[in-house]
Amino acid sequence: MELFDSTQQLLMGALHGAAARQSALSQNLANANTAGYQRVDVDFHSALQQAAEEMRSGDADVSPDDVDFTAQADPQQMQVDGNGVDVDVEAANLAQNGLEYQALVSVMGARMGILQSAIGMPR
Amino acid sequence: MGLFDSLAISASGLSAERLRMDVTAENLANAQSTQGADGQPYRRKSVVLQAVGAQGGFAQALAAAQSGNPEATGTSTGAQPGGVEVAAIVEDQTPGKRVYNPGHPDADAQGYVTLPNVDSVTEMVDLISASRAYEANTTAMQTAKQMFTKTLELLR
Repeated sequence: MELFDSTQQLLMGALHGAAARQSALSQNLANANTAGYQRVDVDFHSALQQAAEEMRSGDADVSPDDVDFTAQADPQQMQVDGNGVDVDVEAANLAQNGLEYQALVSVMGARMGILQSAIGMPR
Repeated sequence: MGLFDSLAISASGLSAERLRMDVTAENLANAQSTQGADGQPYRRKSVVLQAVGAQGGFAQALAAAQSGNPEATGTSTGAQPGGVEVAAIVEDQTPGKRVYNPGHPDADAQGYVTLPNVDSVTEMVDLISASRAYEANTTAMQTAKQMFTKTLELLR
């Protein structure tokens, strides 16, 4: 039995993913006025889900640390200069991603609290 | 890679939008300047922005230094987001409006004065656009800061 189980590892993976998505969404907002810019996004949910399924199917080599959180282009056109950023949608995504990240951190903190009390190191 | 990246990206957005605001202010301030340094009427300037890929960052720089190849630090991966940068500030080449004013010191032989090609309405729209984009970047920065603070609370 390992100290950090697969749930905790997936939580860590999700935190990495949410941080990578935060960068991608910040990039979109920073380039809201760049002509010809196409928005990028990180679909870390699908990537993690795939990793979780591979872990469940017994593929021991898969770890949430190996999941690739590369920003993917998401072409669309919003403005006549070829820019593909909808500022309102980006702001909504950003708020959602921030809250999701904070929720993940809370769950992680609670699980670490349980571990700490088991070790006899209550906070 | 991490939350500090998104803070840096938002910061690049902030300085780009601030420069756009500066240039718009310059255009408005020179809306009546019929003579520049070259003797010609002022020409409206606009900022050209371009997206940049990440310049490696600390982790990649450390890895490159450890592998004994410090030249590899500055390479742009392109895949990771790295913010925005100002590619150029270009002058608008559309001809300015000509008004008949023979008493003006810059009037030509026919008595016409060429005014700068600055349209104050266009500048106002640009100013609002830059100001809103600036706000959007500060919001992104605020969110990243909250996320970071929340993570630090885990250590308490």
